[in-house]
Amino acid sequence: MRPHGSSGIYRCTGHHRGSWPHFVVLATLSAFILTSILHAQSSPTEYQVKAAYLYNFAKFVEWPPQVMSSDSSFNICVLGRDPFDSTFQTTIAGESIKGRNVLVKRIPRAQDGAGCQILFISSSEEARLKDILDVLDKMSVLTVSDMPQFTRRGGMIQFVTEANRVRFEVNLTNAERTGLTLSSQLLKVAIGVRRG
Amino acid sequence: MNILVSGAALVIACAAFVTYDWITSREAMVHNLSIQAQITGSNSVSALLFNDPQSAENTLSALKAAPNIVSARIYTAEGLAFASYSPDGSREALPLPALPLGQLEHHWFQDGHLVVARKIVFEGKPTGTVYIRSDLQEISHRLKRYAAIAAIVLAASLIAALLVASIFQRAVAEPIVHLAEITRIVSRDKNYSLRASPTGNRDEPDILIHAFNDMLGQIQQREDALRDAHRELEQRVEARTAQLATANKELEQQNREVERATQLKSHFLASMSHELRTPLNAIIGFSDLLAEKTTDHLTDKQNRFIGHVRNGARHLLQLINDILDLSKIESGLLELRRETFGLSEAMPEVLSVIRPLAIAKKIRIEHAEETFSVYADRVRFKQILYNLLSNALKFTPEGGKVRVEGSSNGSLVSIAVSDSGIGIRSEDQQLIFEEFRQAGESTKGVKEGTGLGLAITKRLVERQGGTIRVMSELGKGSCFSFTLPAGRAALEVQPEPVLSEVSIEDPDLSEGKPLVLVVDDEPSARELLASYLEGAGYAVTTVTSGAEAVERARQLDPAAITLDILMPGGSGFGTLAEFKKTVETAHIPIIVVSVVDQKETAFTLGAAEYLVKPVQKSALLNALRKHLGAVSRTANHILVVDDDPITLDVVSDTLRSVGYTPHTVSSGKEALEFLSKVDVDAILLDLIMPEMDGFEVLCAIKDIPELCEVPVFVLTAKDLTERESRILKRGTRALFRKDTSWKNDLLAQLAKAVGKPPLAKTAGQS
Repeated sequence: MRPHGSSGIYRCTGHHRGSWPHFVVLATLSAFILTSILHAQSSPTEYQVKAAYLYNFAKFVEWPPQVMSSDSSFNICVLGRDPFDSTFQTTIAGESIKGRNVLVKRIPRAQDGAGCQILFISSSEEARLKDILDVLDKMSVLTVSDMPQFTRRGGMIQFVTEANRVRFEVNLTNAERTGLTLSSQLLKVAIGVRRG
Repeated sequence: MNILVSGAALVIACAAFVTYDWITSREAMVHNLSIQAQITGSNSVSALLFNDPQSAENTLSALKAAPNIVSARIYTAEGLAFASYSPDGSREALPLPALPLGQLEHHWFQDGHLVVARKIVFEGKPTGTVYIRSDLQEISHRLKRYAAIAAIVLAASLIAALLVASIFQRAVAEPIVHLAEITRIVSRDKNYSLRASPTGNRDEPDILIHAFNDMLGQIQQREDALRDAHRELEQRVEARTAQLATANKELEQQNREVERATQLKSHFLASMSHELRTPLNAIIGFSDLLAEKTTDHLTDKQNRFIGHVRNGARHLLQLINDILDLSKIESGLLELRRETFGLSEAMPEVLSVIRPLAIAKKIRIEHAEETFSVYADRVRFKQILYNLLSNALKFTPEGGKVRVEGSSNGSLVSIAVSDSGIGIRSEDQQLIFEEFRQAGESTKGVKEGTGLGLAITKRLVERQGGTIRVMSELGKGSCFSFTLPAGRAALEVQPEPVLSEVSIEDPDLSEGKPLVLVVDDEPSARELLASYLEGAGYAVTTVTSGAEAVERARQLDPAAITLDILMPGGSGFGTLAEFKKTVETAHIPIIVVSVVDQKETAFTLGAAEYLVKPVQKSALLNALRKHLGAVSRTANHILVVDDDPITLDVVSDTLRSVGYTPHTVSSGKEALEFLSKVDVDAILLDLIMPEMDGFEVLCAIKDIPELCEVPVFVLTAKDLTERESRILKRGTRALFRKDTSWKNDLLAQLAKAVGKPPLAKTAGQS
């Protein structure tokens, strides 16, 4: 996250002594740090928002019945390097989706994603994406990621940060191919909806 | 006026409807807005969840379709503004108005706008709030439209009503009012020839009017018929009344004739009774006297002859009485004075009368003390009983027995007279009750009596409500029994027509002559009074004025005072008052003697007596005697009034024989003349006299105040009517009948009334 309104360039004015510009730089920096710290405490972090969105996606997606009725939990899985850390605990702890408890799992390989309803593929797996998606293709799992070109490369929902806001893009075809139904409400708020 | 009423009703109705519509449309608006908020909210959920204000604003912009919405906002769950909408695109940042806790939605009207705020809840979680603000123009437009229409409808209907009313008025109301008017006039004037005028239309009011007219026509007919009937009835009534009047007159005529006949009959009876009895009375009287006085001076034969005369006379008297009785009964002129009395009162007298006869024939009479009482005429009862007893004695031989017995069954009392006589044949038992019939007529037997006794007895019994019968066996005796109604509860024993008399006591003469004070200014008057008084044995003192009188009275304390009124130097009334005021003289009786008649004043002032000059000696003496008692003076002058000289003789002889001084007059007029000159102590009065009969004399005597105190006795042969008895009862001391033995009774009564005659008083003082 970049600090607000700062371009990192400062202009020299008129007379300046040797220690005066240093002090300014120091002050500004500390100001930035302070504000960023403060700001960090008052507004959610990027991954907090994304974690919340993951949870919210579930409200607007319909999984085919055979997938849902296997066990009594709703599984949100993370594949790859977990950027969420403990954010899940803070955002979606204790929640339930469609009457099921939400469980967050970290899976080592794609094949383990069979029992997941939502799978977040970390950008660390970018290189192996195609293989992962092929494995997941037979499962009705909602694939979400924030790696670039995700939706073009077969992913279903891609997080996009735009104007300091977390948005997302949807590839409807990819989703519907695995039997998932996405609500128009979701599509409405997506910044883009791809078909194909 | 009706229009006003209907108008008011309509206005109220319209107002009600408008109000209802307004309320309903407001509610509808709220509902609509609420739905819109709901829809908008649920459509904005994902926008809120994924933080996409743009999307939310897109959703809000759909509200453009509702022109009434002036602004709409979506707030986040934290209450921060998220998205807003305005029709003109302007953006106002408005904070979320507070929603009441717990409520999902709240709406309120504010500044002519309706605001709805609704929480957005997604899957149980509050996600945000929708806020929509709408204007109320729609409602007000609607309201105005509605009101306008209502007003138009109102006006239209009122006009229509007016029109209809006027038509109705003309068609219905007017004819009915006209009808009512006609009805009123007909009722008031009773003029049934009036008719209501028809409307001419063939409508209901017209039918009514025609029907009404028909009815009036009928009533008129009835009226006329009634009047005719009434007239006819009147005529008939008149005719009938005339008939009745003539019938009445005839009946009156007949009545009068009947009355006259009855009058004649009773007059005949009365005069016959008198005419027959008076000479008989003389015969009986004198023969009695002869028998009494001259027994020693006559030979036996002569005595016998006198006896025969007496018997004959008695028998004749009995016969006459019987015939007259019977005649009276037959013609219904018999008067009965019925009363309740005990048998024990009436029987002894009868028994005592027949006892001599019974003793002579040595027949024993048995009777008990009877406790029953009957309701009958006392005299006639005795007559009946006497008749039966005498018959019993007649037909019973010597040594026989006669029994009288009474019994009662509650409502009737039965008296039986039984004897041990010769008895009566059964065929004769009915016969004997007929007139002039006796049992055993053909046989030689006792032939006493008139043959009328039982006939009269039977009628007397029956007239009084009883029955008589006989039970007899030849040779064994007979029993005659008769019934009479039992006596009434209230046993008022009416006294016989003998009055109680006022006993006049002789004053104690040992005190010497009583003193009378005479007060009069006129010397002649004084002298006259004094001579009267001294002649009668009083001592007299005279004074000439009122003033003197009081003084003298106080000094002398006279026994009585005579007081003149018209005196100079003060009216006697003043003196009278003085006397009464003064303690010493207040007790002295004062006899006012005056030319004027001012009784009231005198008595009010306390006079004891009032005599009008010229004063009758007798009156004065009577007055004095009344208040002082009789003075020592032989009280034995008796005036005998009878038109029959023989009776006069008999009576005066009788009186003289005991020592009274009789004076005789033979007419009422003479009697009054005598009484005006001489004062007597008693008057013996006959009733039937020519010119002035005893009643008139009695009346005349009553009118003279001085004579009022003189005892009057009546000696008569007349049968008295109820009314006459009453008059005599009131005015006389006692009544004696010429056909009975009156002598002893009369003397006894006289003695009681006026004192014993001087001869009888020889033992005492003179």
